Amino acid sequence: MRKIKLSVALGSLLVLMSFVLMSFTQDKKPWDVPAKYQSMKNPQAADDAEMLKVGKMAYSRHCKSCHGNIGQGNGPKARSIEADLGDFTTAEFQAQKDGVIYYQSFVGRDEMPNFEKKIIDDEDRWAIVTYLRTLKK
Amino acid sequence: MYAQEEEAQPEKKVDKPVRSPWESGTLVNHQTSVTQYKNTLEMVISHRFGTIDNGISDVFGIMAPGANIRIGFNYSILDNVSVGFGTNSQKQYQDFQAKYTPFQQTRENTIPVSLTVYGNAAIDGRPDEVFGINYAFADRMSYFTEVIVGRKVNDWLSVQASANFTHYNAVDSIMDNDKLGIGFGGRVKFSPQSSLTLEVGVPLEISSLSQHTSFTNHPKPHFSIGYEVSTSTHAFQIFLTNGLGILPQELYMYNLSEFDSKSIRFGFNITRLWNF
Repeated sequence: MRKIKLSVALGSLLVLMSFVLMSFTQDKKPWDVPAKYQSMKNPQAADDAEMLKVGKMAYSRHCKSCHGNIGQGNGPKARSIEADLGDFTTAEFQAQKDGVIYYQSFVGRDEMPNFEKKIIDDEDRWAIVTYLRTLKK
Repeated sequence: MYAQEEEAQPEKKVDKPVRSPWESGTLVNHQTSVTQYKNTLEMVISHRFGTIDNGISDVFGIMAPGANIRIGFNYSILDNVSVGFGTNSQKQYQDFQAKYTPFQQTRENTIPVSLTVYGNAAIDGRPDEVFGINYAFADRMSYFTEVIVGRKVNDWLSVQASANFTHYNAVDSIMDNDKLGIGFGGRVKFSPQSSLTLEVGVPLEISSLSQHTSFTNHPKPHFSIGYEVSTSTHAFQIFLTNGLGILPQELYMYNLSEFDSKSIRFGFNITRLWNF
């Protein structure tokens, strides 16, 4: 009886510890982006000055507080966020398709909010994507 | 047999409303043409401190008694229609309001200005005795209606002008029940999230509309200058103003403060949005 109790206690402790240890790792799980978004393409030109201006304003208002000035995930609210905020300046981020960035930005997941009801105009959403492309180092 | 080829119609570009003519629906004490998207709940907290003339002894009015606060909620039932309720410490006003923007300024200037109609009804919540001997509930009521014309001139400048009408069911015998007024407001945006704000409300002395032969204690214009910063979910306005009132009818009918060093005070408005 004592042996079973001990093994149950040890087992529980191990499970508990694994949860505790997991909380220290950065949540960098891959995104599951639906096909509809995978095939989306940004209709705006990369150098569209008007859209870049709109995108930059919208980024300042909606995104900067978490993602930081140039998208390196170092905004003032970043410290309180468990998930990995990504780094928009990296080649890895920029290599993603337009539609994937669109999905990540506006549908979001977990601590990344859904912005579909806040940024309703599709042109404004693509303007943000156009601006994000300029953050490439 | 040839199929009739339809001439390709050039895609008609829909002229959309200008983006963010104002950071929020309020410009200190006035309304703007901005209404949040449908199904947005907006909480508005407004605070007017005591006057600054006591200096550091009451931290320029911030710790003074006699501050005025309002807590209100607005809900957008349509993209351009919102309804709201607020509760005030001053006179324990309970107010109900609605705002409708029938047309908004568009990007290609097919509509050059925004037109907004705003109205509220407020119940003065103080004890019956305040209203005199022949008290009736209707004595508590006041109403305010306003038509606002606004224009986003360019990326950094927005302006608006308004004409408004105030009515109090019960006023002191030397006062008029009604007051016409005009208002002006502006926003100068100097960074993506920050602006300088200005507004003024002028109650008009129109003798031909007065119930009396001369004006006694005619209300003074209220004027505010301030700073506004906005984020995805909040707008913060901090300003200097002369009027203690938050409800526009209170300012247009009863403000006796000048905009001078004895009578100005700090105030703030904070709005917070929830999208459903």
